[in-house]
Amino acid sequence: MKTGMLKISPGFEDIMPPEYRELVDNGPYGKNYGIGDLGSYKELLEEHPLCAGCGLALSLRLTLASLPMPEDTVIVGSTGCSALAFPQVALHNIHSLFGNQNAVASGLKRALKLRFPDKEKDVVVIAGDGATADIGLDMVMQSWLRREKITTIMLDNEAYANTGGQESGMSMQGAVLNMAPTGKKFPKLSLPEIAQTCGCAYVAAASPAKPKQLAKVVRRAILVAREIGPTYVQLYSPCPTNYKFNPKETVSLIKQREKDGLYQSKEYISQEAKAFLESIEVKK
Amino acid sequence: MYLSVRVDKEKCIGCKICITSCPEPNVFIFLPEQKLVEVNESRCKACGLCTTVCAKEALKIG
Repeated sequence: MKTGMLKISPGFEDIMPPEYRELVDNGPYGKNYGIGDLGSYKELLEEHPLCAGCGLALSLRLTLASLPMPEDTVIVGSTGCSALAFPQVALHNIHSLFGNQNAVASGLKRALKLRFPDKEKDVVVIAGDGATADIGLDMVMQSWLRREKITTIMLDNEAYANTGGQESGMSMQGAVLNMAPTGKKFPKLSLPEIAQTCGCAYVAAASPAKPKQLAKVVRRAILVAREIGPTYVQLYSPCPTNYKFNPKETVSLIKQREKDGLYQSKEYISQEAKAFLESIEVKK
Repeated sequence: MYLSVRVDKEKCIGCKICITSCPEPNVFIFLPEQKLVEVNESRCKACGLCTTVCAKEALKIG
């Protein structure tokens, strides 16, 4: 993205919204900010309609703050709670048909490679668990099997939260939701293992309870996807509205789940990706 | 007057943990000279997540 695109034409400054003026004057484009700089610049995300205490909103905010090159990143989203926040993101983003996000991202990545052969353009898929693990699992797995160089980030809130609370493939066995009153009868799908089997060069599971770890895995996933092949990150983002807990307990719930052994952070790096990461992390 | 988080400037040490725990963007502003955080009250949804992670009990919903 040319950062000149953002600039306001002379004479129009006073009629532009204050949020936009703030983004032009104090945005993160081209400044290589990280998660530690939050609070000192205008973030890429603006006020969104997601619920108070939403774990998904927190994961999305931290993910956007961890992007290595936001000005050259295109986000592909899909239907779900995350889609409600996408219109408020100051990046190029595409809203795809439910479950098609990885197919759209594959074509987009190839087109960008042809159009800008000597530039790095990151294509990052950010979608919920319904779009990634249930409805779009076919497209997601096929993109991994084709070794498309895209990053897939799943915001796992363990339900179809946007439509009133149906169980998803990522809900825990026995989870009771508004539209699963007798509890889910099947175990939670283990997508990191599937991703590893399908040939992802880098696979990680993290949560917003450890923001620095989340930032590290997102950054690594995007850098590996540029050079080696497909990468997958799963972010556990509890939903206070559908799981009926107090909004202020989102982070403590993740920590409790980790203690109980019901959630664990993981990282799998292929040999090729490990060598690549070592080479760039030594350079720093 | 809507509910919002309030910072006790006596207790805040500027550790920024509230900034990385808030689901809302641009709510907390870090003041590096004073090593404090400031709240943009119009953007806060008063979920209280920051109050549970603050080790110094410097944040309150009110």
